Amino acid sequence: MALTGRTALLAALGSLPVGIVAPSWTGMLAVNAPLSLAILCDYALAAPVRSLQFTRSGDTTVRLGDQAEVQLSVVNPSRRRLRAHLRDAWPPSSWLPGTEHASSRHELTVPPGERRRLSTVLRPTRRGDRKAEQVTVRSYGPLGLAARQGSHRVPWTVRVLPPFTSRKHLPSRLARLRELDGRTSLLTRGEGTEFDSLRAYVPGDDVRSIDWRATARQSAVAVRTWRPERDRHVLVVLDTGRTSAGRLGDVPRLDAAMDATLLLTALAARAGDRVGLLAYSRRVRARVQGRATGEVLAAVVDALTPLEPELVETDARGLVAAALAHAPRRSLIVLLTSLDAAPVEEGLLPVLPQLTQRHTVLLAAVSDPQVAGMADARGTVDAIYEAAAGAEAEAQRRRTADKLKRYGVVVVDAPPDTLAPALADAYLALKAAGRL
Amino acid sequence: MTAVTTPSSPSTSTSVTPHQVWLRTRGLLLAVLLLVVAAIALAATRSGDQHGRLDPRSAGPYGSRAIAELLKDHGISFRVVTTLRDATTAAGSDTTLLVTTPNLLTPHQQNTLRTATSGTVGRTVLLGADPTSVSRLAPGVQAKPPASVVTRPPACLLPAARRAGSVETGGVRYDANGLDAIACYPAAGLPSVLLLRQPAGGDTVLLGSADFLYNERLDRQGNASLALQLLGSRPHLTWYLPSLTDPSATGGPADDGNADNNTANGESSFIGLIPSGWLWGTQQLAVAAVLAAVWRARRLGPLVTERLPVAIRASESTEGRARLSRKANARDRAAASLRHATRTRMASLVGVSPREAHLPAVLLPALSARIGPAPGDLDVLLFGPAPAEDSALVLLADRLDSLEREVRTS
Repeated sequence: MALTGRTALLAALGSLPVGIVAPSWTGMLAVNAPLSLAILCDYALAAPVRSLQFTRSGDTTVRLGDQAEVQLSVVNPSRRRLRAHLRDAWPPSSWLPGTEHASSRHELTVPPGERRRLSTVLRPTRRGDRKAEQVTVRSYGPLGLAARQGSHRVPWTVRVLPPFTSRKHLPSRLARLRELDGRTSLLTRGEGTEFDSLRAYVPGDDVRSIDWRATARQSAVAVRTWRPERDRHVLVVLDTGRTSAGRLGDVPRLDAAMDATLLLTALAARAGDRVGLLAYSRRVRARVQGRATGEVLAAVVDALTPLEPELVETDARGLVAAALAHAPRRSLIVLLTSLDAAPVEEGLLPVLPQLTQRHTVLLAAVSDPQVAGMADARGTVDAIYEAAAGAEAEAQRRRTADKLKRYGVVVVDAPPDTLAPALADAYLALKAAGRL
Repeated sequence: MTAVTTPSSPSTSTSVTPHQVWLRTRGLLLAVLLLVVAAIALAATRSGDQHGRLDPRSAGPYGSRAIAELLKDHGISFRVVTTLRDATTAAGSDTTLLVTTPNLLTPHQQNTLRTATSGTVGRTVLLGADPTSVSRLAPGVQAKPPASVVTRPPACLLPAARRAGSVETGGVRYDANGLDAIACYPAAGLPSVLLLRQPAGGDTVLLGSADFLYNERLDRQGNASLALQLLGSRPHLTWYLPSLTDPSATGGPADDGNADNNTANGESSFIGLIPSGWLWGTQQLAVAAVLAAVWRARRLGPLVTERLPVAIRASESTEGRARLSRKANARDRAAASLRHATRTRMASLVGVSPREAHLPAVLLPALSARIGPAPGDLDVLLFGPAPAEDSALVLLADRLDSLEREVRTS
């Protein structure tokens, strides 16, 4: 049962006859009794809400920043016309702040026995799964004085994928990859290349690359071409512990690390390498293993989507053990973690040799542009102390990175917007150097 | 025509069905029903005693039909009134006005009653009036804490009392200090029956307890005699039983219909001056306001909650350290950090390895070679002691910046 503004207005207008014509209990009864009767009749004549039937359809995935459309079809099986306000409730982060009200409310008229379709447009502001909450219908009577109200649970989930903003860097890195790759065939042999094919000699080719044995078998001069090694193994290890929860601007460190992960995955999959993913804090939180190159990016996106940072200290020993278990063959292990002194020196450094003795290790960390800004602050005494603290923090990071480099670890330390291309470049450099 | 058959999927509705409502509330309803039945049963079994107390029409133990019949037999005209208006109009020179429960009257009613009776030569009998009632109905008399109701001798010169002899009296005791009064039936020194003569010729009788008027007690001792003499002194008796339906009990001074009384006193409130149409109209507006509140209070579905991620700024610890050093005035540490950072940056500019950047013997000659003759004291600027005050620290930062700029541009 719900009332409308019209009811209150009628009651207010009723004060005129009560005040002027009959200022007594009789007058009030003469006004309010018909009004109550009208409300009850209206309530009785409103289309029932309980028997409505709902089905959903529409988008199930959307990239963060894009909009998703979810359809809701309403069947009115009763013999009364449904005039209603409908609220399709979703969690607040499904819409831009301030637009929740307008986006979730619908006005609806369904003639008896018919079906109508509504469409709710979502614009999620955070990554993860958005589950539909209740659908609430307020069905008004023919007079618009009273309404029946009820809710239905019509489940639907829209998965909000990471935005992958760094995909704009993919074409340039792919071009670099092609330079390394056999498609722009290399005639020079070196580390990190493998035999690709024989082809006929054309003037200008390096004579050192002529394959004399093949030339002897054929009538023409043949040269060997080389291409970068393929089918290397790359394992991206994502640290989702407390250090990944810190926010840079409005996004946590983890999201910047995910962006870099996606670019690296896309690039490595194109380069023909096998990519695996492991997210770890004190337990394995997500893993992708043994996927074909064509579907690995989708699998990684799917695995990353529901991940949120956990406010626990990362178990470095367990992380290394899990990484070793996931990388049976020689691999490039990309550790996306932090360069804070304490977690690295106390947790990671003692167990790092287990990784480096067999694998190539690349450690990527997201640096905080705000700390860099603090280091440049000048003018007031407070600013100088901030600058000193900022400079100290940066020096600390550098020292930690130096310690890691002594173990043969490649360190990439970049602010969130350049981490992804920097990591991709580091990967390409390692690939070119044949260190995969 | 195709009728809608049973839906293929189970209902998605989350609202409770009437059946569920019944299941949930039946226990409560049962409890309420039991409570009501118990209350009715208790009322039926226990209410007999006090019902019709002092009512001249009641034949129960606490009624007063016996004395009423006796008075009628003695030729006294008898009338029962329930409103103050009837009581005051009945008050007159040849009338006895019996107020059975003066304590139930509102202060305003008591004042009205006093005004109406003080000018007559009739008699007013008040039963068990307590201190607040006495102060209004019989000014000057003081009511004292009650005594138990037992048989007491008259101990006074009042003829009626002397004739009646011992009577069961008690209850509230009165002290008419300095007034023209006859005090009878004293209980522990103070009278429980007091006859107060009025200046106009009438009198007021204060009875501490009404017990001797009850049917069940009237035949004991001299109860009936005293009652007949006190109530039968005038040819008419008005028996006033105050009731809640009396309009003068609910309304204020201006609302009891006794208009001339109000205008005589010159007191009329703001509400009394407003035409009743406005009051009733406002009442209807209040109904509208309640409806509007119900309209606005109903939400379209429940609030949706969501787990929010933690919001910790990554730079928090660095900012905290800055504030901590500021509070501790750690100028030495701040200066060392700034110098260290500048030396590290400049070392790469002038071709000194990071490892040797903090050795004065290596860095200073390299810098001098880059920017020519050293402007001032490079040694003190880069490796000197900590500044002694905050302004010197700000100055140090500026000088380090300008040196770095110079190295960069040279």
